[in-house]
Amino acid sequence: MQSVTLPASLDEAVAALTAMPAAVPVAGGTDLMAAVNAGLLRPAALVGLGRINEIRGWQYQDGHALLGAGLTHARMGRPDFAALIPALAAAARAAGPPQIRNAGTLGGNIASAAPTGDALPVLAALEAVLVIVGPGGLGDSGVARREIPVSHLLAGREMLRPGELIGFVRVPLLHAPQVFLKATGRTGPGRAVASVGLVLDPARRGVRCAIGAVAPMPLRPLEAEQWVASLIDWDGERGLAPEALEAFGEYVAAACVPDQGEPVAAGVLHLRRTVAVLARRALGRALSS
Amino acid sequence: MSGHDAATTTLMTTTVPTGAGAGDGEPEVLRGIGVSVPSAHARAKTEGTFPYAADLWAEGLLWAAVLRSPHAHARILSIDTTAAAAMPGVRAVVTHADVPGATTHGRRIADRPVFAHDVVRHHGEPIAAVAADHPDTARLAAAAIAVEYELLDAVTDPEQSFGAPALHPDGNLIRHIPLRYGDPEATGEVVVEGLYRIGRQDPAPIGAEAGLAVPRPDGGVEIYTASTDPHTDRDLAAACFGLDPDRVRVVVTGVPGATADREDPAFQLPLGLLALRTGCPVKLAATREESFLGHSHRHPTLLRYRHHADAEGRLVKVEAQILMDAGAYADASSESLAAAVAFACGPYVVPHAFVEGWAVRTNNPPSGHVRGEGAMQVCAAYEGQMDKLAAALGIDGAEIRMRNVLATGDLLPTGQTVTCPAPVAELLRAVRDVELPSLPKDTPEEEWLLPGGPEGAGEPGAVRRGVGYGVGMVHMLGAEGTDEVSTATVKVVDGVATVICAAVDTGQGFSTLARQIVQEVLGVDEVVTAPVDTDQPPAGPAAHGRHTWVSGGAVERAAKMVRTQLLQPMAHKLGMSTELLQIQDGRITSYDGAFSTTVAEAMAGKELWATAQCRPHPTEPLDADGQGDAFVGLAFCAIRAVVDVDVELGSVRVVELAVAQDVGRILNPAQLEARIEAGVTQGVGAALTENLRSVAGVIRHPDLTGYALPTSLDAPAVRIVKLVEERDVVAPFGAKAASAVPVVTTPSAIASAVRAATGRPVNRLPIRPSAAVAAPNS
Repeated sequence: MQSVTLPASLDEAVAALTAMPAAVPVAGGTDLMAAVNAGLLRPAALVGLGRINEIRGWQYQDGHALLGAGLTHARMGRPDFAALIPALAAAARAAGPPQIRNAGTLGGNIASAAPTGDALPVLAALEAVLVIVGPGGLGDSGVARREIPVSHLLAGREMLRPGELIGFVRVPLLHAPQVFLKATGRTGPGRAVASVGLVLDPARRGVRCAIGAVAPMPLRPLEAEQWVASLIDWDGERGLAPEALEAFGEYVAAACVPDQGEPVAAGVLHLRRTVAVLARRALGRALSS
Repeated sequence: MSGHDAATTTLMTTTVPTGAGAGDGEPEVLRGIGVSVPSAHARAKTEGTFPYAADLWAEGLLWAAVLRSPHAHARILSIDTTAAAAMPGVRAVVTHADVPGATTHGRRIADRPVFAHDVVRHHGEPIAAVAADHPDTARLAAAAIAVEYELLDAVTDPEQSFGAPALHPDGNLIRHIPLRYGDPEATGEVVVEGLYRIGRQDPAPIGAEAGLAVPRPDGGVEIYTASTDPHTDRDLAAACFGLDPDRVRVVVTGVPGATADREDPAFQLPLGLLALRTGCPVKLAATREESFLGHSHRHPTLLRYRHHADAEGRLVKVEAQILMDAGAYADASSESLAAAVAFACGPYVVPHAFVEGWAVRTNNPPSGHVRGEGAMQVCAAYEGQMDKLAAALGIDGAEIRMRNVLATGDLLPTGQTVTCPAPVAELLRAVRDVELPSLPKDTPEEEWLLPGGPEGAGEPGAVRRGVGYGVGMVHMLGAEGTDEVSTATVKVVDGVATVICAAVDTGQGFSTLARQIVQEVLGVDEVVTAPVDTDQPPAGPAAHGRHTWVSGGAVERAAKMVRTQLLQPMAHKLGMSTELLQIQDGRITSYDGAFSTTVAEAMAGKELWATAQCRPHPTEPLDADGQGDAFVGLAFCAIRAVVDVDVELGSVRVVELAVAQDVGRILNPAQLEARIEAGVTQGVGAALTENLRSVAGVIRHPDLTGYALPTSLDAPAVRIVKLVEERDVVAPFGAKAASAVPVVTTPSAIASAVRAATGRPVNRLPIRPSAAVAAPNS
């Protein structure tokens, strides 16, 4: 390690990254430092983001919350945050043991883009937008901002350019039930075998759902969402018959876990069943709360 | 049959009588046998000041790194170390060509090369090692060694090993035991068959392997490491270094967890070689990945069973085929197979048994001694068979086991008579009759911990509860004619006793036990245990409960010899034999009470030494028909498991494990309870999550995220319902080893409970979620 820089603002961080193109930004370090310790990664320099206060909280912006990328999972798991964005809070509480949640951040979860990242299906369901800061602005700071949908970054349709950082994550405040569920191999904290983020959007009369861990990025079963949204009585009880919930689960699972040739492997069938159960339970919980 | 209920009470409340304090006003000291004397290291371990091998430091030390094979099976065409040796900071690079002595080693059979040179036979096999002035330099240099491989087909299915080309000059079959007992033509009215697969459990010690080698001025070397078997490790090292054993000294440091043979020789040997080569101290601290690749694992096993029973459910005949995957080298596979074959029918009376066992070589990760080896794999299978018989006959699971239990005086299928206490029926009754844990519906909903964890995906409507039973057995001490011997010295100087014995305290609590024994015999309060090294006489490996029995026995004898030396002059003066003087509560009193003095006074100014050995009665190897008195002692355990299964997702939570165990005698209640809880938890891992997966012989996810050890949320409530204290007359103090048998029994009990909850066959360990899904509640 040649150097470690600890900028106090996003502007400084961008400047530091621009000045040292080989430097790697690090926030909680729960993925990065494990790779460094294992000898898989040997960054020439590190730019630590832990002292940038502006990205450690959130602010409100016309019906949205602008979440700092440095929010830790532990912070997002607290009740005040859970009242705003319940599914993201639930995903944060499920994201590993306390030591990891205390260090790991929202921005890090997105930047690592691990298929099992627990926040990712929730962000996909929320259709979150990333505010990227980077060099090249016209103002005094020389810092520019641009916005890209989280799904574009996760799918590789758009990439972070040299010197750029995830500064903020903009998510809508929907004021409606949201659910995050995951299936793991055990009772204690574990990696998701499959996960689901599901949010209701009463204003747009929509159900949005994303399945995590079954593919390199969260998958959105758009047709299943539209179909089930059309069944819900948005002005009334919002309940659905068990058969409809079941059908939604099957629909989601068929969309997200394709057959991989004939005969369908037992593992694929189990995964599809797991996704169907998670989607069904998630919708059931959202509609009954 | 003595005071098991009293013992249980003692254990549960832990209000144990304390020994008398050294004097008025001083805090009371816990001492002696049967009392929860705390470990001398407890404070240092909780405060993080206890020194482990990874903490060692020496002036001018170099760091080692080992280059390991990335392939499961390949021919090595060339090894080029020039680039690595030329790197700045690199002090030495060693390969097979630099091994001065024996080029192969092995704890039982020397079939494993120190460094692979012509062929690599498993993923992670060492090929070369580097010493450098910085750990990163050493690692980079190891990576810079150019090895040209020609990939060979990896034999990863043990069933294919029989017909595959020889993977090793010794051939692919490590051992075959055909056990024949009784009449092969016997048949029962009910026949059930089953195929069982047991996965690869890793001992996953919480502290990874580490060591420091320091060259000696006489041309020898000292190796500081957390060895559990220092003398064997020394002998292996000396042979490979081409040195006399007395010029290699293994010094045992703090052991950070050991449920298997600790300290993979594959890095101890390079460490010593590098120290000898460079003349500098050399240190190596393995990464978690190297730890998973290097040490040996529990044998993955394939078991095929056929049980015959009469209409009442009494066993008539057991036929079994047991295939153990030894990995590339023999290690302890021969012993593991003997245990698997001998205990293939479990703690049940079986008139006719035909068991064939094989341990075969493959290119999978190496297998070796992990506690309960052999016995654990067969327990999962024979208990699965008992559940099948119960289902076929419509008898309750506990009842069918009760109708077949073994007792003292019965014969094992090896023809050996069970001479030790075998209170299997009593254990089973105890777990069967204790009340079940309350159902979630009887408690507030927020207190439910559903499968899937807090705030998880679990839904009460999809959860089914199951209750199952497991009964298991293990042998104690080495089997089949192994010479079991331990030597201990007890020294008393001015009232302070020291125990010198090369029995390693791996966390099993031997040093605490040794202190208790000396306190009991000599009435002294202060007893210290000396650090272990190979200048002391051997005490054998810390496995199979050996030290409680053999080393504990040696300590007791030595302490009694010191006692005689202490009492002899007094007895002589009083004109009575030493037997008429007793030591109790720090006082020496004559039988008639006429003479009395304190131990402290009697010992003042004296230096007393005694050394003694303990060697249990000999055993014999299994013969060509798998017959023979192969075991010194047996221990038994019964467990009732209660599980909740989310049958839609197949997620399992173990709610409670009720344990009844045959312990002989309780020497330290708190320590015993901790051993049982630890064993049960390791069993929970084997049952549900622990499986070191490999694809084409290459280990996937060698880390603690991919390899899921039980966390506190996964570990169930462990309820010790009964500890049967029937003393084993041949064992010192009558005590039985306690750690292994809960590991053996727990997975079978959990599998049985999951069967009851789901109606699925559950014939594979660990139990995968896909094997525990069932049709939703009707």
